Parts: sequence; structure tokens; C-alpha cells
Amino acid sequence: MIHLILYAVLAGQAATSDQAADHIRAGLEARKQHQVDVEIAEFRKATELDSGLADAFVNLGAAYMEKHDYGSATAPLKRALELSPDLPVAHQFLGYALLAQGYAAEAIPHLERVGAQDALGIAQIETGQLSQAVANFNAALAQRPNDADLLYYLGHASGLLSKGAIDTLIAAHPDSARAHQALAENYFVLRQMPQAEREYQEALRLRPELPGLHLELGQVYANSAQWPKAEAEFREEGKLRPGNAEAAYRLGTALLQQGKATEALAELKRANELKADMPETLYSLGKAASLSGDAQTAEKVWMRVIELEQGGSLAAQAHFGLAGVYRKQGKAQQAQHEMQEFQRLQSTIGPPRSE
Amino acid sequence: MVRRFTRRNFLGFAGLAAAAPLFDVKPLRGIDFVLQNSPTPHKYLIETMPGGAALFDYNNDGLLDIFLVNGGKISGALHVPENFDRANPRYWNRLYRQNRDGSFTDVTEGAGLARAGNGNYGMGVAVGDYDNDGYPDLYVTSYGKNILYHNNGDGTFTDVTAKAGVAGGGWSVSAGFFDYDNDGHLDLFVTRYMEWDADHNKICGGDWHTYCPPAEFPATTCLLYRNRGDGTFEDVSERSGITAKKGRALGVAFADYDGDGFTDIFVSNDGMQQYLFHNNGDGTFKECALESGVALTSDGKGLSGMGTVFQDYDNDGRPDVIVTVLPRELYGLYHNDGSGAFSYESLEAGLGALTSGSSGWGIGLEDFDDDGWKDLFVAQSHVLDNVQQIDASLRYKELPLLALNHNGRFERADSGVATPLAARGAAFGDINNDGRMDVLITTLGGPPVLLLNRGGSHHWLSISLRGTRSNRDGYGALVRVNGQTRVATSAGSYVCANDKRLHFGLGSAEKAAVEILWPSGAKQILKDVRADQFLEVREPEG
Repeated sequence: MIHLILYAVLAGQAATSDQAADHIRAGLEARKQHQVDVEIAEFRKATELDSGLADAFVNLGAAYMEKHDYGSATAPLKRALELSPDLPVAHQFLGYALLAQGYAAEAIPHLERVGAQDALGIAQIETGQLSQAVANFNAALAQRPNDADLLYYLGHASGLLSKGAIDTLIAAHPDSARAHQALAENYFVLRQMPQAEREYQEALRLRPELPGLHLELGQVYANSAQWPKAEAEFREEGKLRPGNAEAAYRLGTALLQQGKATEALAELKRANELKADMPETLYSLGKAASLSGDAQTAEKVWMRVIELEQGGSLAAQAHFGLAGVYRKQGKAQQAQHEMQEFQRLQSTIGPPRSE
Repeated sequence: MVRRFTRRNFLGFAGLAAAAPLFDVKPLRGIDFVLQNSPTPHKYLIETMPGGAALFDYNNDGLLDIFLVNGGKISGALHVPENFDRANPRYWNRLYRQNRDGSFTDVTEGAGLARAGNGNYGMGVAVGDYDNDGYPDLYVTSYGKNILYHNNGDGTFTDVTAKAGVAGGGWSVSAGFFDYDNDGHLDLFVTRYMEWDADHNKICGGDWHTYCPPAEFPATTCLLYRNRGDGTFEDVSERSGITAKKGRALGVAFADYDGDGFTDIFVSNDGMQQYLFHNNGDGTFKECALESGVALTSDGKGLSGMGTVFQDYDNDGRPDVIVTVLPRELYGLYHNDGSGAFSYESLEAGLGALTSGSSGWGIGLEDFDDDGWKDLFVAQSHVLDNVQQIDASLRYKELPLLALNHNGRFERADSGVATPLAARGAAFGDINNDGRMDVLITTLGGPPVLLLNRGGSHHWLSISLRGTRSNRDGYGALVRVNGQTRVATSAGSYVCANDKRLHFGLGSAEKAAVEILWPSGAKQILKDVRADQFLEVREPEG
């Protein structure tokens, strides 16, 4: 759970009863010393001496929260809100305590009241308010960009939202092209390629003009090493969407895989024109150029990959490719330099993954 | 070389090529061998790695005989020291003598090849006449100890391992005889896979329980034994520089790739870079795969190297390298550009579409259709027997790959094998002496499969070398026939030993020009050699 923050403002609350105030002070002192059990005992005494002290109840609840004893924290925090319904800290702690115990619906009004978007998002996931959860996580991320917990919950909520939409689609329109496409995508993720192929083909039978279907079916074939079929599907996608860079890139790589270097080079150049400076496209373009005997283009685009990727794995591969080009040209010194760069990057990022 | 108009081209134009498999799958009459790899739920990695086969003429009667390496018994959990029950006939290696009618007779026991040591789980075999007495000897590799069997010349063999000093140890896989110092005596190279024993086994794959990838186990070194010429060998692994590199070696092949007169060593490693040991000519080697361009793919990635072959596929006179690997990779084809440099040319050669979904083991470059271009044959099967449960697009059992070579580009052809196999080894030779190259495949848990070449109308020439100053087998010689080049060797493939005769397809040519560069440095030229014959060539002694 997103960590709790104890607000220093609690320390400044005034007490009305002298004896109770003494215990509150002792409790706050114990908090400074990280003596949670003493803290709890002192605040409890304060609440016993003066049952109308909202501050004492909030502090007692906060002490239990500190101990992760959310069950015990709930009652004093609720009492604090009975005494002082607008106390923001009490709402926040009670929201967290309820959420931690699984009472998400009950937690939501308290969290809404204080605008605790992160915890609110979590509560909304649990109550199925997925769109609201996504909105809250996005808002929280605007405040804390790249927070690992927030990114995880945003992904989780978005995934659930997506799954919900797909479930609805399949239930409402089971025979539609989109339903078959959605099923195909699931099979693809599960690496069940024959089933994925079947669903994509059914989707295409129903709506042959639907963008993306040929591209995805081509990837099914590519994943099963059926390169001629993959090539055919990527070509079909290219006919439907001649301006789509990915279709051109995928077609280029399918051609490359089959050793059709000249055709691959043309497609990959086209992909790069449609969407310039994509490192993967440039890297494959270099391979196609090298295969076609166009060492100059290979050299140029691989150097660009190195510039763009700055020490990444594609940059390492580009260095390796350049070493091969120079070796073939008899430029031993340059080849050696590129090989050293390749090895240097490998030692920092690890060897490239197998294909 | 100018591309010829071949029988296959003609059939292609006629639209009949697809209907004509190149081989007949023949039952091996008299051979009842089953490769006992003994798969268990413990997923001991050794279970998925055997089985060797040798095609050699042990009794010099002109017919190829068959030696088959068995695995061993694993009935449950193993503990060090392991016992594989090799005294039990079910787990023996077997020697089958070929009879005149093409059938085979099991001569294992009489030949002295029964049993193989209880602690030895069999892997592979190498063949070479290490004592130059005219009879081919056998070296059998194992997880455990390796065995050198001296051929006594009377149909029997003697285990001379202890005297020769070549027992090795650990997990040996492929081996090969070659003469690295050109002293006329065959030396021995042995690949070793990894540091592994039953007490340090691992199971991978989560719920699926699979064999672990090699990186889960420590790498190890290969072995090089120098033949002293007196029936004993010296372990020069360290002195020669071979142990300077640890790897996960499975396959080995030999050729003088840079034409300096000394045979070099290519080692296929599993799940990492490949090794090329350049022979410095002074008894030492330098591993130079990376700088030579033969270590990685064109993307700088390691390979799951298993089998390998080191022969000239594009008829430019220089030996090239092909390595078989796992799916999602491509079989690595490294073109020898000359000057000691190679280029990764799998895609140019057509291996992208042919091999990216397959797992390859035994491999050969042989001219199966005798058109003058060496074709590619690979025994295929995934390493994991339950791979389909993990990835539905992959299969454990596969059909072998036969790809005909058209001017340096490979195209799939029908091998004639209709049932997928759990294939491992592939040995190549002309088993029925019809002038066409045949294939013997070993299969895990099954019998060997013989593919007999149906033949055609093209001419051919088969050359046996008889060294005098060089080693008697002539291993390491470079033989050129009508623009084609072969390195004389019985090594290569995976755990197998091939027919040592050098086969050349001649297309429509009825005559051949033969040029032999012997390891001794002697050069021999034979002109107007008649086609369609088995020719023995003796090295000039002067």
C-alpha cells in the first residue's frame, strides 16, 4: 500500500484538559523517540480522561496506523470524526485504514474528501470504478512522475478496463470481426499460434478492410517462422495502409528473413521515410543494406543507430554490424575498433538476448 | 562457378519436383538397435543429448559398416558415481557388419565392443586410423570415461584407452581425429559440454519440468591429445592453448580455413559464442572466432550451437562453417571470405526461411543430387521433449531438413521422411556403393533411420585417400574436383563419424580433374579421371 505520512500538524493540536494534555504531550514525545507502544498508551489515557478530545483520538489512531494495526486504528479515527467531522487528517487516516482492511467502498468518501488520489484509485479498482481509477492514477502521476507503485496501479487499472471492454464486446457481439480479433490477440499472447491464426482469418473473412488485421496475422506467421505467409499478410496491410510505417517495417523484416535483401532494403527505406529515425527500422535497414552489398548505406544508418541509442543493445549490435562491414572491406583497424565498442557495451548491458 | 542445368531444374520446369523425394526411407535389415536414452522426470540433461553413429569399413571389405553408440539406463534418481547398467546388452554400443546383400549382422560381442563401462553414458564416436595400420579405429565418447578401441585387423577391437591415455572424463560429446602438427599421426580432439553430474542436476521450466539451458551449469574445456606415434597420446590441451577458453562445446569440425597448411578447429558451443581455434603451426592454437567473424550472429548474438560442418558450400575453394541451433535462431552459415575472415550469410543462403523454426543436430554438406553443389541435410528435433506444452508453435519431433544447393542458395526439398523424428546424429556415406550419398539418422528412444539416395543420371566420383607421408587416412587433405573442394575428414555433424571417402557430384561431366593437397604439403594432380568410380589415390612418397 502506498505509504502513510504522519502529518506534523498533529503535534500542534491543543488540549483542553490539563491531565489529558499532559498525556498527549507525553505521547507526542514518545512518537519522537519512536516508542509506539508508549505513544499508544499515552494517547489512550488522554482519550479516557477526556472523551471529547478529537485530537487525542486522531493521535491514537495515527499511532495504531504506525504499527500497521489498522483494525485498532479504525474506532478512534471514527470517534475523532464524530467529534470533529471536518478533520482532514482523520479522514485521510480512516480512508487508509479502511482500505487496508479491504473496506474499499467505505474508504472512498474519506479519501475523496482529502483528495488522496493514489489510495482513492486503489479503492476504485476494488470497487470496479476503473475509469475513475485510471483518471486518479494519471492525476497522481502528474504529481509524482515515474512512481513505481503508481505506474503499476495505472497499468493494472488500464488492463482491467481493457479486459472489461473486450469481455463486453465478446459477450455482446460474439460473431463480430472485432470479437475474433480480440480472441486472436489473446491467443497470440498465449503463444497459441494456430488458434490465433484461425481467429484472425475469421475476422478477415468478416471485415477484410479492417486496419491492423493483416499486420497482426502476419506477426502470427512471423512468430511461427512462416515467412512467406508473413510477407503476404504484411503486403496486404501495406495495400490497405500505405502510409503505415509499421507495416512497411514488418514487411521489410520478413523479406530480410527470407534473404530478399534488395526488396527488404526498399521497404525498410520506405518505413524510415514514413517514420524517421526509429532505431529498430534503422538497424534492420543497415542489415538489408549490408546484405545487398550497399556498405555505404549500412555504415550510415548503423552510425545513426549508435547516435540514437547511446549505449543500448541496438547500439551494440550496430557496432557489431559495422565491424563486419569494415572486416569485409579489409579495414582491420576500424573493424577492431567497432568490435571493441561492441564488447565494451556488452560488458555494461550484458550480451544481446538470443533471437 | 557457372550454374549447371541440373536434373532438379528440369523437374522443376516440368512441375514434378515436389513429387520426387530424394531418398527412400529403408528398414535396416539385421539392425535391432534402439537408442536407450532413458528419459526420466528428473530431466537429467544427458538424456536428451546422445546418440552417435559411425559409417566406416572396419574390415576393409569395401562395404560400410555401422557403429551405434548407446546411452545407458537411468531408472530413477541418480547419484554420483552414476551407474548406467552398460553391462546389460540392452545398453551396449553395437557394431553391425554389412553383408553383400545389404543386410547387417550384429558382430558387437565377437568384435570385443560389448559393454562400455558402467559409469559411462554414451554420447558420440570418432573414426580414424590412429596407428596407420590400415584399419580404422574407434573412439567412443561418454558422460564418464571415453574409450579408444584399436582395430586389430582381424574383425576384433581392443580397448587401449589406458595405454593410450585418452580416457578424458567429465562430459565428452563429439570427437574427431585430425593431424594438427602434420607429423603423419592422427591426433584427437574431444568436445566437452559442461560441468555436470547427477548430484548437481537442476530442473527448469517451472510447472512444466524441462531440461535446463546450458547457462545453468558451469562451462568447461575441450581436450586435445597429441599422437606420439607409438600408440600413446599426450594430453596437450593446456600447452596447446585449447583450455584457455571454457565453453559449452557440442560439435567439432576441422579444416585449414586460411590455407596456411595447418588444420584449424571449429567448435560449436551451446548458448554462447562459437570458437575457432586457429592452428599457429607450432603446436599451439589461438581462439579467434570473434575477430574472424565466426563467433556470433550478424546481430552480435550467441548461438545455441550443436552440430557443425566445415566444408565449402559455394565452390569458391574455401571451407565455410555451418552451425545448427535452436528455433528462433537461424542455423549459422559463415562464409569464408578469405584472408581469415568470415561473414555471417545465413540469410543470403536462404537459411532464414528454412531454419528459424527448427532445432538442428547432425549436419552434413554433401552433394546428394550430384549436380556439383553440396546440399544441406540436418537431423532435427527440439531439445525439450515437452516443448509443445510450453510453446505450441514448436514441436519435439521434426522432419529432417534437406535443402538443395542452387548456386550457393539453399532450397527445401523432400527428403522422403514422412514421420517426424526425435533425431540427433546424422552420419553421411555411400552405404550401398551406388555412387550416391546416403544418410543414417539416430533417434532418441528409437531405431536408426536409413535414407537411401534414389540416385539419378548425374555422374560422380568417390575418392579414397591413402596417405604415405601424411596420415594414412589423408585427413586434412584438400581435394579439388572440377571446381569443387572438399576437406578430407570423417568428423563434423554431431556425435557422428562419416564415411571417410570423398564424394563429388560431377553433373553431366564424364571426366574429372583431381587436385589433392596433402597435409604433408605434397600436391598431386590427376587429369581425365573417369567418372562414376571409386578411386583410391595414394600419396606420392617421394
